[in-house]
Amino acid sequence: MYLQLAWRNIWRNTRRTTVILVAVIIGIWSMILLGALMRGIAAGMIKNGISTLTGHLQIHHIGYRDDPAIETSMANPQMIENALTLVLPIESMWATRVRVNAVASNARHSSGVTLVGIDPLSEARVSFIGKAISKGRYLEQSDPNGILVGAALLDKFETKLGRKLVLMSQNTSGEIASRAFHIVGIFNAEMQATEKQFVFVTRPASQQMLNLGHGISEISVILPEKTDISAIISALKDALPQDQYEVHSWRELLPFQTAYLRILDGFIWIWYLVVFVAMGFGIVNTTLMAVFERMREFGLLKALGMNPWWILRAVLTESFLLLFSGMIIGNILAFLSIYLLSGIGIDLSAMAAGAEYAGMSRIIYPAIEFKDIMMANSIVMLLGLLVSAYPATKAARFMPVKALAHT
Amino acid sequence: MTQKTAWTVILAWALVFAVYRFALAIDPNQLVEDSFNYVRGKSSVSEVIMTIHRPDWQRKMTIKAWTRGQKDSLFYIDAPPKDRGNGTLKKGREMWIYNPKINRVIKVPPSMMSQSWMGSDFSNNDLSKSDSLLTDYTHTLIATETHDGKRVYVIKSMPKPDAPVVWGMQRLKIREDLIWLSQEFFDEDLQPVKAMTTLEIQMLGGKLFPKVWRMSKVDQQGNYTQLNYTALVFTSSLPDSLFTLTTLRKPLR
Repeated sequence: MYLQLAWRNIWRNTRRTTVILVAVIIGIWSMILLGALMRGIAAGMIKNGISTLTGHLQIHHIGYRDDPAIETSMANPQMIENALTLVLPIESMWATRVRVNAVASNARHSSGVTLVGIDPLSEARVSFIGKAISKGRYLEQSDPNGILVGAALLDKFETKLGRKLVLMSQNTSGEIASRAFHIVGIFNAEMQATEKQFVFVTRPASQQMLNLGHGISEISVILPEKTDISAIISALKDALPQDQYEVHSWRELLPFQTAYLRILDGFIWIWYLVVFVAMGFGIVNTTLMAVFERMREFGLLKALGMNPWWILRAVLTESFLLLFSGMIIGNILAFLSIYLLSGIGIDLSAMAAGAEYAGMSRIIYPAIEFKDIMMANSIVMLLGLLVSAYPATKAARFMPVKALAHT
Repeated sequence: MTQKTAWTVILAWALVFAVYRFALAIDPNQLVEDSFNYVRGKSSVSEVIMTIHRPDWQRKMTIKAWTRGQKDSLFYIDAPPKDRGNGTLKKGREMWIYNPKINRVIKVPPSMMSQSWMGSDFSNNDLSKSDSLLTDYTHTLIATETHDGKRVYVIKSMPKPDAPVVWGMQRLKIREDLIWLSQEFFDEDLQPVKAMTTLEIQMLGGKLFPKVWRMSKVDQQGNYTQLNYTALVFTSSLPDSLFTLTTLRKPLR
């Protein structure tokens, strides 16, 4: 009876209520959808970062991260791999790599690249390269002169499959090492920068070229889902000699993405507040109008001896019903649009260069986080009630005589 | 047919045959190496004016150069005053450059190898890998021509399968007296990329030597770098102490 009264009161002016309802719906919808998109961008960035030769954690020789040179390579990877077998959960995968800066050149062009020497089989399970070949073939275990080149680099060099690429770098004795490779495969990556930066050869080929022996530059590990990374890292640190090797999680290896994640929470809050301020004024205005329209009514109720708190409650209930129905429809709409988008994603290929500048993937898939939805809804509800407390107290404070005299 | 004409014909045929045999007998690998050594001498001391020509400007530098054998060389810029004292030392495949303004010797890293040397059309690689022509290529004789009454061998040099060279082919023209007439660089599609030609062959340093060497890129007509020898002396040896970092640093010359 009480709720029914409030519900009927809302719909005494249909047009006004519909307008404010639509405002609430759009507010909620945009809060949830934008939150999901931003989370999606972040998730894409991190997934991308992890699969672009980062992994969940990496092991390097001390000093490699400050100076990724040939001198700071790990001479005895076998010992580390033994430790990995002991410490890591059973489904973990890892790949050993040689990774140095090099210069690639052909007859007309030359450019700085990162030369990555990989074990084709284990690398395919750890990073993107296994699934990224668009033309030609993937590297084979014994491929002394094969090289994988990104599509963007290929364009830049005006070359094609089967052509030669000469790589130059510094070997362990500080001399210039150069070696000719033949392009056997072309890979596509999420970002053009990745395509331009990395070239892949087999690990033995790179070791031979650089006089490395069995040395490698890094080990990248992919852990099974929902593993406690920090626990694994401290276990690994105990298992490896501290003065030679260092272990980093992806949070340390991808500082930009980690920082973005941290900023993101702030962004979402600010967005919610902006939407709410716009919506809040609408709510105050509507409720205030509704209250002043019914001045004589409230005055009469008070004259009949109604407790002012009850009037306050009645007005708040009305805005609660308004907000609540707006929230339900807004949530349904938001989930519907997220559901529709999650299939195809938002394709940014048309402006890939701009998206790349921000380190975003070419396609954004929205990602729902329960936390965000709770936050959006409770902000709207709590602050909505808070702002309608102003017209409600106004109503509760009407002097019966004045109100009844009001025409 | 008179006996005289018959004899002439036989003689002519014999001559053609002899020439043909002679041409076949030429070992192109040997020819390239001989002519390379002819150009470099055992050791040489020279002074060269390098002209860098572009459509809208050009500049000249005077360079003093010392070379020894196939691998060692030292260059030093004498003029203009702005660049005076800049030096380049090459030993084997390694290069160092010295800049007097910062008083530092820099070892040329791999990343700078394909950049141009002193802003010219020569790259650091052209200098540091000059002997690559001898070690990384197989040479075949494809034609003989005649220039100024002398026979010229046209040699096609293909890189060995896994040789670390960027070119798809080089074509050399070498005169029978071992003088280098041109060297053309092709990419893997066998499209010409750049070419070096020599001009004004005359007596220099006691033997016939091209006075002018010009390097130009095929797709940038009007851009070239020209080396003009103003003095050249071949000697039998140069001291080891000349090809050291200390000498590079000291503008003693």
